[in-house]
Amino acid sequence: MSSRITIDPITRIEGHLRIDVEVENYAVSNAWASCTMWRGIETILRGRDPRDAWMFTQRFCGVCTTVHAMASVRAVEDALKLPVPANAQYIRNLILIAHALHDHIVHFYQLSALDWVDILQIPKADPAAASRLAESLSPWTRNSTKELKAAQDKVKAVAASGQLGIFQNGYWGHPAMRLSPEVNLLAFSHYIQALEYQRKALQVVGMLGSKTPHIQNLVVGGVANAIDLDSQSALTMDKLETIRLLLAEVSEFINQVYLIDVCAVAAMYPEWFKIGAGVTNYLAVPDLPLDSNAGAYDLPGGVIMRGDIGGMQPFKTAADPVFRESVTEDVTHAYYQGEKPLRPWEGETEPQFTGWDGEKKYSWVKSPRYKGQPMQVGPLSQVLVGYAQGHALTKKYANLALGQVSAIAKVNATPALMHSTLGRHAARAIRAAMLAELADKHWQLLVDNIAKGDLTVHNQPVFPSGECEGVGTHEAPRGTLSHWIVIKNGKIANYQAVVPSTWNASPRDEQGAHGPYEASLLHTPLARPEEPLEVLRTVHSFDPCMACACHTFDPTGRQIARVKVL
Amino acid sequence: MSGKITIGGIGSVLLGDDAVGPYVIGRLESAYCFEERVTVADLGTPGLDLVAHLSGIDALILIDSVKNDAPPGTLTLYRKEDILRHGPAPVRMDPHSPALSESLLIAELAGEGPKDILLIGITGEQYEVGTGLSAAAERAAGGAVEQVLVELDRLGFSYSELRKNPYSAWWEPLAEALPILAGS
Repeated sequence: MSSRITIDPITRIEGHLRIDVEVENYAVSNAWASCTMWRGIETILRGRDPRDAWMFTQRFCGVCTTVHAMASVRAVEDALKLPVPANAQYIRNLILIAHALHDHIVHFYQLSALDWVDILQIPKADPAAASRLAESLSPWTRNSTKELKAAQDKVKAVAASGQLGIFQNGYWGHPAMRLSPEVNLLAFSHYIQALEYQRKALQVVGMLGSKTPHIQNLVVGGVANAIDLDSQSALTMDKLETIRLLLAEVSEFINQVYLIDVCAVAAMYPEWFKIGAGVTNYLAVPDLPLDSNAGAYDLPGGVIMRGDIGGMQPFKTAADPVFRESVTEDVTHAYYQGEKPLRPWEGETEPQFTGWDGEKKYSWVKSPRYKGQPMQVGPLSQVLVGYAQGHALTKKYANLALGQVSAIAKVNATPALMHSTLGRHAARAIRAAMLAELADKHWQLLVDNIAKGDLTVHNQPVFPSGECEGVGTHEAPRGTLSHWIVIKNGKIANYQAVVPSTWNASPRDEQGAHGPYEASLLHTPLARPEEPLEVLRTVHSFDPCMACACHTFDPTGRQIARVKVL
Repeated sequence: MSGKITIGGIGSVLLGDDAVGPYVIGRLESAYCFEERVTVADLGTPGLDLVAHLSGIDALILIDSVKNDAPPGTLTLYRKEDILRHGPAPVRMDPHSPALSESLLIAELAGEGPKDILLIGITGEQYEVGTGLSAAAERAAGGAVEQVLVELDRLGFSYSELRKNPYSAWWEPLAEALPILAGS
């Protein structure tokens, strides 16, 4: 007998992500991912000045602001074949890195750790034992008995108040929760500390971008930061030194806390290395350009099909000709008009809402496909593509993480385990450690280049008469982001953003192939179908972000989400 | 009050009246000069990223569009207890959906939440994709500016008026200034 579970966060204006699963014998037998909100924000851009597009695209999502700004200026620069001065590349890279570090820390601790950590076990923990355990795993200086006792007291106070507050809706005591009270306490203590370090990363974004969450320093052709090491109103050596110190602190947290915690939690849930693989086609584009013509990158890109690491095809550039030709969007199961898959430059966004029907149309998300195939994007794709290329930095941190899991779990953790729910978490921590190391490198590249006397930050864009098209990519925290622009006589004629969560949350396509969220849920065991914690674990491992839109506050508290079991 | 205050506008400028929070921020920034302890920020739609903006401040004023039963353009003032009354969302599928109460609860847990909170809610009329406020929301924005100043007075923060120029938000359509075309 099968039952149907719908998990649907209902917001006042529109919903966001909805997951439907069919459950048979305590395992998921079918799944649908849908977005309950119309996107179509791109239409606002038609007719506008391409030089302003980034200010609007930065508002597509309130969490992924900088990434949409960056992809947009890159799309216009690609259309104009406009080089970007080296200083501007490094400043942009530092912003992208700092934003990603912030984002990854928030994702693990604030957005997904409590899928694995049982808060209500914490009062039972022995802080001294937790401290000894922590010190055996990491040199982090903030794992003292005193610090852990303070974190435990916070939980005890919340529990004693009878109002669980932020914790009132967790699946506490769920049979799939299995950490010891001490590990639960450690993770929670780091949940609190993480707030400080994600803020330090944001401070870097604010110092370079002049404001956060919406940076102000971009221009098509470079950046608007004045570089003058002696003027207080410009980017000075003092400011650069503050930025370096902030990034170093964040880097220490990532290496000594985040990466260690992910490995420790993973080692205690080893079965989750066998759950949640789903679509094993992986896509990542190169990023962090090293020169003004973007001829070399610090992060590699490429494509892996059907989990065949050996058959990985690399991309040479961030807007590789093969990539440009291979991306289409299908609307067979999405609420849009249209017959055949279209390239984004020809993309249409004509809504045709017909109500949720799992056999027909059921989502506002289109189905992006690469050579007709669904692709998984995100840190796991980034790490696997790098690993397959023998990319030294990827291998360094991937091997470190796998070694750590092997040591704690006393198993032999191999890269093959990465095709899984926990693989996505591990890959995100690996990627964060790589980015933290690259932050230091790009800071030095910037300072050295300025020291050579190069103060150029901007090249003037010149628009041709007639039509030109461009694609701007960014390998964002959630994966491959691409903005596709058509410019006609200096104005925007068409604009499409193919965002990471669209790749991952896409509905079935004309071939009936599941999108990555859907595929990853199939066969997932559920201990208590009425409390589908396991579904949340896998969906959260992708770090979903459905182009956050209306954030209107509902003071009446009309309920914002439901789990419905039919 | 000796501490710091943040005045934050919440909302997406691309979705009709959801822009009213950022719009009020734009009006405040263009017409007033605030003392150093006051931070004025367009916070967009931050989800849980709001937590980062709640640290190190003693007071917070937020301006946001709200959905309630009042007619469009109505101003409603909420205090901390009104916001926290209903707790966080039962299931967080998409981790970045609206998270005002959650952000405040997390900040409190970390011992960082502002003591004084005022949410100035403006009942919106339409949230369609597109830039531009409804007439009701735009009228209410003036009232929201006044409420911000009243709260600053109450808490003892100072400011001065700069000018009374009409304000035009950057996301509104502007007069044509075409980019440089080759050969032109």
